[in-house]
Amino acid sequence: MGGKQKKMAVAVFSGSIDRLTGLAMLVTGAVSMGLEVDLFLQLWGAYAFKKDVLQKNMNFSEFQDKAPEVARRLQELKLPSWFELIRQAKKAGNLKIYVCSTAASIWNAKKEDFELVDDIIGVGEWIEKMSEADITLFV
Amino acid sequence: MSEKSELSQEELRKIKPDKVVDARGTSCPGPLLAAKQAITEVPIGGILEVLSSDPGTKRDLPIWAKKMGHVFLGVIEEPGYWRIFVKRMK
Repeated sequence: MGGKQKKMAVAVFSGSIDRLTGLAMLVTGAVSMGLEVDLFLQLWGAYAFKKDVLQKNMNFSEFQDKAPEVARRLQELKLPSWFELIRQAKKAGNLKIYVCSTAASIWNAKKEDFELVDDIIGVGEWIEKMSEADITLFV
Repeated sequence: MSEKSELSQEELRKIKPDKVVDARGTSCPGPLLAAKQAITEVPIGGILEVLSSDPGTKRDLPIWAKKMGHVFLGVIEEPGYWRIFVKRMK
């Protein structure tokens, strides 16, 4: 392969589990393909990663009436939860998770109040990370 | 298939892999992640066999192997699943 490791940077604003499942697929895929991945958790994204929210979150952003069906199919397909996928991706590769400092303040939360989060950073540092990435996304 | 097989079906069937990872019953990206984790347990020059029932895997793994600098050897299609062979190169 050689050369610099490719990088993907995703700003995660949403805290809905359907969107977070989509995020988890991309992150797991990217890490498996050898990319370095950075996540920046903003408002609802940060909320969804809070230890006291994580397991309880059943919020869907679209087609709410289909939520039970999607949940059932994900289970039948033996797909781990979005959060379990992110945990596996972190174990398997180079994935860093940052919380937006303002979001942390809004939720009155410290780093240890979040699951799997590496640090709390400002938007300037994040923009620098995004500008260095090969793929940038907003979820 | 975007990558061609290195070996014929007959040659593939003779392979004695160094490691077999059974990812059948899991959906994408499960088998891909399983391959990434399992390849480290194969000696360099050794062969990993991935069993997957997800139709995306037989297309994902050749691309993955190429990107990671390994060699995709080929796929055997079995009823309801695929056997995918990758040679670890580094």
